[in-house]
Amino acid sequence: MIVGEQKPLEEIWEMVKRHKQLTVFGCNTCVAVCHQGGNKEAGILASLLRMKAVQEEVDIDIVDSGIERQCEHEFFDSVRDLMSRSEAVLSLACGIGVQFVATKYETMPVYPALNTTFLGDVIAVGHFTEKCQACGDCVLGLTGGVCPVSRCCKRLSNGPCGGSSNGKCEISKEIDCAWQLIVDRLEALGRLDDYEKIPPLKDWSKDRAGGPRSFKLEGI
Amino acid sequence: MKRLQGLLRTVGIDPERLHFYNLSAAMGPRWAEICNEFSEKIIKLGPSPIWLARQKKKATTEHDE
Amino acid sequence: MTVDVKTNSRLEKVLKSGQLAVTSECGPPRSSAPEGIIKKGELIKNHVDVINVTDNQTSVTRLCSLAACVHLKLQGLDPVLQMVVRDRNRIALQSDILGAASFGISNILCLSGDHQSFGDNPQAQNVFDIDSMQLVQTVRRMRDEGKFLSGDEIKVPPNMFVGAAANPFADPFKIRVPRLAKKVAAGAEFIQTQCIYNVDKFELWMEQVRDRGLHEKVFILAGITPMRSVGMAKYLRKSVPGMDVPEALINRMAGVEKEKQAAEGITIAVETIQRLKEVKGVAGFHIMAIEWEEKVPEIVERAGLFPRPVID
Repeated sequence: MIVGEQKPLEEIWEMVKRHKQLTVFGCNTCVAVCHQGGNKEAGILASLLRMKAVQEEVDIDIVDSGIERQCEHEFFDSVRDLMSRSEAVLSLACGIGVQFVATKYETMPVYPALNTTFLGDVIAVGHFTEKCQACGDCVLGLTGGVCPVSRCCKRLSNGPCGGSSNGKCEISKEIDCAWQLIVDRLEALGRLDDYEKIPPLKDWSKDRAGGPRSFKLEGI
Repeated sequence: MKRLQGLLRTVGIDPERLHFYNLSAAMGPRWAEICNEFSEKIIKLGPSPIWLARQKKKATTEHDE
Repeated sequence: MTVDVKTNSRLEKVLKSGQLAVTSECGPPRSSAPEGIIKKGELIKNHVDVINVTDNQTSVTRLCSLAACVHLKLQGLDPVLQMVVRDRNRIALQSDILGAASFGISNILCLSGDHQSFGDNPQAQNVFDIDSMQLVQTVRRMRDEGKFLSGDEIKVPPNMFVGAAANPFADPFKIRVPRLAKKVAAGAEFIQTQCIYNVDKFELWMEQVRDRGLHEKVFILAGITPMRSVGMAKYLRKSVPGMDVPEALINRMAGVEKEKQAAEGITIAVETIQRLKEVKGVAGFHIMAIEWEEKVPEIVERAGLFPRPVID
């Protein structure tokens, strides 16, 4: 799922305080799981902004709302009225949702309340870690289910580098060496011989480097 | 509670103004005690920045009228 | 004596003639003035076969390795171009290889590169378009097949002796020999190891290397770095990933008074070389005395590796 983190309140306030009306708009899917951008968080954020507005003597009418997903048109049906009454939207969705709202309501300013950070999993309650870089060319079948693109700090195809120490990456003891994990997995699967295979060069044109990606289903 | 106190801090409100107490309906005396303690604490802390700002706004609006 | 070599590299000639090779390295300055690197080269040129030039080592921005190699080449030395894959994509890497070859630079060492968070620009993007192993493959393809990665022909292929690094002390130990085997399969012709303090562990690694016959497929140069003080020894053990400094060595350094520690460090380095000379499969020594290059001649001489063989 997509993980994000709320921007500091000051930064958000600076973006929105110029408006007379603001709709604080939550997204209840991915960013709700990490407790950053869900409809509940939208309510809390709206409350904090109102308190800020009162103290700084800024006249702004702040409304909070939210929908299930901000990346698909159908979910916006229920808020058609609200959007037509809004002067500006502070979207708590990931960058995708913010852009979707901006495109959908052409003349309405939209501000991001979150910094979208990564694609990851929930390894424990409240603990999210990056697991995928959407490189477009998945090699998980070769690496025992551990991704070297997202989890190796140097995204090596033939790791580990000489900095791997006690199963940790050279840049931080908090980061597991992805290649240590790969080797351990291959060993557990009885496929350590696969380690010596040298894969072909990575095709980064399938990744961000090839330009923004799109996917269209045929026959729909 | 810690999280909410943290959020209050970000808008300049003393986190001491928020506290959670857990008690049952049968604990009458303790309830009275808490009310008194907390009221005293809040009086000592003085008016909150929100109250002050609202008062100021009310004063300027009345003045304009 | 004529030796069957592919390139003009002095290192290749010395190694293939069956003699122990000696290499060293120096770091370019953080300035556009090349005098510093030229001076370092002059200090050690008669005591080594070739000289490595580091490539923005530790991710700290310096005069680039390629330019520094050109300066050394123009002074009559035989430099080794160290090339990391952290900062350049495959276009720039192939391009720089041609650039180096155009100046007659005959050696290249293919490396990953320290992560940029260690250096002076932790906010920089990193590249890692291909990794060090794939860079070895690339240079070999350019040289032996005369082709770019794209398959296009290279009119005059770069003629370089290709090396890679190995670290017998990094984790996980169980794949450190398979990793060497991979680099050999990728086309590495010489290896320079991380500096050795734990000789026992190195000998264990070499034993496994010999078991697989890898010592006959690639020339392994043992890395040696003299310690200047007990503080340096402790720092290396604690703060440098992939470094193994045994307790006994720290104690030995600590047991000597401060002014004599540097000399003790040199002695330890010499002793390590003497011991490693006896290890089958060690083809030479890579002496890394960064910012202490003036000690290299003493180490080489005391280790009985001077004068260097005369090769035509």
